[in-house]
Amino acid sequence: MTTVAPAASGAGTDAVAWHHRHLIDVDVLTWPEIELIMRTTEQMKGILARPIRKVPALNGRRVTTLFYEASTRTRVSFESAARNLSADVVSVAPATSSVTKGESLVDTIRTLEALGAEILVMRHSVSGAPYLAAEIFSGHVLNGGDGWHAHPTQALLDLYTMRENVHGGDLRGKKVAIVGDILHSRVARSNIWSLTAAGADLWLCGPATLLRGFDRWAAQWSSGKVPGHGKFNVTSDIDAALRDADVVMGLRIQRERMQGGLLPSLREYAAMYQLNAERISLAKPEAIVMHPGPMNEGVEIAPDIAISGRSVILDQVANGVAVRMALLYLLAGSHDEAHTTEPGK
Amino acid sequence: MRTEGGTFGLGGTRGASGPAGGSGATGLGPKVGETVERFELEKAWLVDPVSGREGPGEIVVIDGILESVTWLEGAEAEGVTDKGVVVAPGFFDIHAHFREPGFEDAETVATGSAAAAHGGYTTVALMPNTQPALDEPGTLARVRSAVAASGSPVEILAYGAVSAGRGGEQLSAMGELADAGVIGYSDDGAPVKTPKLLRSALLYAGMLGLPIVEHPEDLELTAGAEAHEGYVASVMGLAGWPTAGEVSAVSRDLAVLADALGDQPGARLHLTHLSTAPALDLVRRARAAGLPVTCDVTPHHLAFTDEWIAGARRWAWDALAADGTSRDPWIDGALTAGPYNTSLRVNPPLATAADAAACLAALVDGTASAVATDHAPHTIVDKEVEFGKASNGISGIETALGVLLALVDAGKLPLARAIAALTTGPAAVMAAGGHAAGSAPARPRGLTEGAAADLVVFDRADGWKVTSDSLLSKGKNSPLIGRELPGRVLLTIAAGRLAYEDPSAGDE
Repeated sequence: MTTVAPAASGAGTDAVAWHHRHLIDVDVLTWPEIELIMRTTEQMKGILARPIRKVPALNGRRVTTLFYEASTRTRVSFESAARNLSADVVSVAPATSSVTKGESLVDTIRTLEALGAEILVMRHSVSGAPYLAAEIFSGHVLNGGDGWHAHPTQALLDLYTMRENVHGGDLRGKKVAIVGDILHSRVARSNIWSLTAAGADLWLCGPATLLRGFDRWAAQWSSGKVPGHGKFNVTSDIDAALRDADVVMGLRIQRERMQGGLLPSLREYAAMYQLNAERISLAKPEAIVMHPGPMNEGVEIAPDIAISGRSVILDQVANGVAVRMALLYLLAGSHDEAHTTEPGK
Repeated sequence: MRTEGGTFGLGGTRGASGPAGGSGATGLGPKVGETVERFELEKAWLVDPVSGREGPGEIVVIDGILESVTWLEGAEAEGVTDKGVVVAPGFFDIHAHFREPGFEDAETVATGSAAAAHGGYTTVALMPNTQPALDEPGTLARVRSAVAASGSPVEILAYGAVSAGRGGEQLSAMGELADAGVIGYSDDGAPVKTPKLLRSALLYAGMLGLPIVEHPEDLELTAGAEAHEGYVASVMGLAGWPTAGEVSAVSRDLAVLADALGDQPGARLHLTHLSTAPALDLVRRARAAGLPVTCDVTPHHLAFTDEWIAGARRWAWDALAADGTSRDPWIDGALTAGPYNTSLRVNPPLATAADAAACLAALVDGTASAVATDHAPHTIVDKEVEFGKASNGISGIETALGVLLALVDAGKLPLARAIAALTTGPAAVMAAGGHAAGSAPARPRGLTEGAAADLVVFDRADGWKVTSDSLLSKGKNSPLIGRELPGRVLLTIAAGRLAYEDPSAGDE
């Protein structure tokens, strides 16, 4: 894998063909491919700005969402994206399917394929599960989040939203602070790949118990040996993470973390790490505030910050539909030796 | 017939002559289980860890007896090197799972024995985590009848469970199991649940002259773990199994052993499948202090590392940086296979290149007495699932020799030490138990004239490809599938009887 250093905004990345049959994480994407996704997302935003937000690009194509973890917003975002492209959408929810009767993932996917699924949008609680799906599914797998591992559409919508909001649309050298439960976060992991590829000055911040292992990762990537990646920083010092930041992103803190002995209390977490007005004032005056949702307002983020003029949280939601449209469009148009899409198959 | 290293074939068998009598590729050789009537091998490299001798030589087997062992010198020995056909005593695996009774879909005594012989093994000790657990003599009798029915000459030994039903609450029928011939006790698959029960087990087994074989794992620290805690697990979002998950258990076990020795000088502890540098260091120090503890390491912890889960396939020693840390497979572009391959999910998990190097160092300096396969076959149902849901274990009894020969080829391990780790090393672990039951055969077996032939012949100049078809085990859960391994096993003779013959033998 080679990751090409980000080109100066918009220049010189025109002739990129999409060749990925699946998208499971951003780690496989070159910078020109990420730029292609950003440009395609821009076009999709144009569609969403029209009075009739629907184009026939995926007319007759079958998109199946298979969500093993409860998620309303992400599933709805994918399904809206698919419908905006005129795809037929089937939703499979484990609670109402034979998954609860002990059917294996492999059998479920073979069954969905036999029922005509062409693009499978999948969310699963076990890291790596979509790779297993991709191995046996003859169509396209688009990862909607797997375990602690990856959430590529979130990272790409985050990247898009940051570029929309930072001066010049270029993240090189821009300080991005991600604060919260890094250890269990697929959002953080995918953002590490995309933001270091974008040349951002990335800071991951949280209490030591929720950062375990990331210091080692940061040290490895900061050794200067990593081609195409910016280094990233790991700290439990919230002030250091936020100082002069261009982008501040909060991550959800889950109640289970206390039962696991990783946090004394949500109250203590909020006291030490909550993104509130006082802490945000350490960031640059024009800094934006992000959150992948769903938020625990009053825990990781203060309610007034979440709805403040700095917040682009609703932009993230809107851009999520556009990014997912872009990826469905690119995946549906991809061909490789292992798979040829035959219209009317 | 007379055979030189390189070309190969077996003579007829006792009581069977002519084409109808054989099933080998020659159509003339004996079938598995039949006595090897006559086999001669000229100009091979003999390795005899019992006498400590290795070099050019010739062997003759007549009526299952190793009739002569001739060491060649001078002109006769010319051109014979340790890079060609090698003869060694049959291997002894002190840790394998043949899944019978209870999990015959994954393996049976018959298929496991065939796989063992393909790997060069003539003696295998089975772990008792069957269904039902081997915690009383009746279950051992079932295993024994499966052995008899298999027709395989591979000798099958058995451990009894430490606790009844492996439940960790009360002791199994340890005395009755000893009378029935178990060679030790283990709750493998899990550690002996409490230090209190371990102490009782060490005392009771010590009284019976048998060892406790312990799977060291701190279940509190490893709950929910999917992979060795470290860089790879962090990047891949896998729940980490901290090094302390093994080290704290080894510390507990050693402390309890030291305590038990005061009451029962015969108490003996063997720690199986150690995988981390600090755990091996603890054993090294305990042994130096005179504690009666032994340990083994597995081929997979010697040769594979956690980066394989990300998709790397280079040997552990090739993943070790000059400063003793692990190289970075993402930086190196070393990811050549798909990630999250469940054949790599194993307990304890594959660790770092430094840990693998520590396993090797322990083997070289004798801290680890043996290489044990922890052969753990699983069905596709248990492995073709999400990584975090996959059963732990690697089907490894057929690939152990090849993995060790890869270490030898890389100059990391002398051939004689590799062979000792498969023969005299494991025998010493078990011999130290005392065998009060008197059922265990005399070990170690060497290349001893006049004794029943118990040996393996393999060709270092030839390799073999690991495939679902080439593995005789029912368990195809090997991360080496698709890979070429050095050292094709040509022939395995167990107790004078044919255990395995390479199908292509005698093709010329």
